Amino acid sequence: MALPEAKKLKLVLFAAVFIVAIGLPFILRDPYYLGFVNVFIMYSILSLGLNLILGYTGLLSLGHAAFFGLGGYTTAILMKNHGLPFVPSLVISALIALFFGFLVGIPTRKVKGDYFCLLTIIFGEIFRLVVQSWIGFTGGAMGIVGIPIPKIFGWTIRTEADFYFLGLGLLCFTYFTLAILVKSKFGRAFVAIREDELAASVMGVNAPVYKILAFGIGCLYAGLAGSYLAVYQTVVTPSNFRLEESCFMIIAVIVGGMGNLGATFSGVFLMTLATEVFRPIAEYRMLIIGLIMVIVLLFRPQGLFGASAFKD
Amino acid sequence: MPLLETTELSKYFGGVVALESISLSIEKGEILGMIGPNGSGKTTFINVLSGIYRPEKGEVKFKKRDVTGFPPHVITREGISRTFQNLRVFPNISVLQNILTGLHCRIDNSLFGIFFSPFSSMKREKQAEHKSLEILEMVNLAKTKNELAKNLPYGEQRLLEICRALASEPDLLLLDEPCAGMNPVEIDTLATFLKKLKSAGITIFIIEHNMRFVMSIAERIVVLNAGKKFKEGLPAEIQNDREVQEIYLGEEEEI
Repeated sequence: MALPEAKKLKLVLFAAVFIVAIGLPFILRDPYYLGFVNVFIMYSILSLGLNLILGYTGLLSLGHAAFFGLGGYTTAILMKNHGLPFVPSLVISALIALFFGFLVGIPTRKVKGDYFCLLTIIFGEIFRLVVQSWIGFTGGAMGIVGIPIPKIFGWTIRTEADFYFLGLGLLCFTYFTLAILVKSKFGRAFVAIREDELAASVMGVNAPVYKILAFGIGCLYAGLAGSYLAVYQTVVTPSNFRLEESCFMIIAVIVGGMGNLGATFSGVFLMTLATEVFRPIAEYRMLIIGLIMVIVLLFRPQGLFGASAFKD
Repeated sequence: MPLLETTELSKYFGGVVALESISLSIEKGEILGMIGPNGSGKTTFINVLSGIYRPEKGEVKFKKRDVTGFPPHVITREGISRTFQNLRVFPNISVLQNILTGLHCRIDNSLFGIFFSPFSSMKREKQAEHKSLEILEMVNLAKTKNELAKNLPYGEQRLLEICRALASEPDLLLLDEPCAGMNPVEIDTLATFLKKLKSAGITIFIIEHNMRFVMSIAERIVVLNAGKKFKEGLPAEIQNDREVQEIYLGEEEEI
């Protein structure tokens, strides 16, 4: 059976990506570069989740870092204080982020535009302040240090390469579940809400419920990424989950292309690269990142790869 | 047997009376037209029927069931679908995706189903896609299925919006000024299309300002004035009614 040309190309591309992904830690021997890749993977998971909320459903959430933090702290507390293994901690972290996603989504379901944005900023700040002040539970500004080394069914995750494969697994899970979701009737309903909420509800979409659903599911992946961060850094502090982190993810989604999963990677890559390259100039690097965003949006308002976002 | 029946339906916006005790029935299989001067409450009436507004008084019965005050997505599932006066297609997604969104409540996939029984879910999606193409075929839009909706000419976008409403398999189709902004050729296409739908057994309720169009296509006409039902009758009767002419053109003054 002869495959159509486009499908063949896709298959070849997919195989190439697969081989490179598996072989990367054997080529990239330097832990510095592999560490960079791991950070890229973590932000990819976060931004893919955010793309569902922002790019597909059209809800500008500035509190994504809080859900990231919820995942991180849940894993840290469960593993360090309660001695739970990594896998159940990971699952519980994701579920806690999902639960809080619903909790924030329910009261904000009828709030639109700027007001939604404000409420999510407030949630993000509340999270950070609670974590900073509840010293007995979260360790305050010092955070939680000495999170144990994770093990999955006897596989001890210790080196950069180990973390790379763990991250890759989580990233594949994130990407493929989201890809299935956005191609289904649920994904179409999310896009319909973004395009025109009233028309969507008249077409049979239960708009408030779907908005809560999109928000919660997007946050679930933030919980996964948080859990990954906790075991990777072995430390979580409130400063890991500031408003700047949320902005970083939003910029990555917008620069990559809203409403397109694959495009998210390009945005995250550009952003993590810029952060690394301009690290010596410290605070001023946000200035340059802002400039990059302005330039990208001037020449490609739909994002780097946003053009064919909704065409099949 | 009436498909839809409203009794004493009233809607107020603060002190403004938008609809006052409207009682009318839409018979199964007919095309019912509604006319009236600007601000007479026609669009409000459709908004109440489709669940966007909740009426202050009165009730709406659809297929002998009370559906008063149901939210829009439930009304759609029950079998009432609508279009808007000011075009509301989803602009940034493809024509096919627009229609598929209309099929939302007819695709039986659950959130768990799409992950845990992907094959039967995919089969249902394929069937839905097939059905969408059939609907597009009816108005010759199948060739533009991958085009973004906003890139279609205006008349085709109007047709697309009707197709999207049709995709939800309605028994009753509510059209709010479908001809607005269309050229005469497009209006003819629309008329033929609506007649085809009627013969397929779909009941149509249509608000329209284009008199020639509505008189030629509707079997009965209801006239609304200042939120009240003013007249009801056959197109020919309405056309020659002095009072109807007066509310449109003003009273004739004695010289």
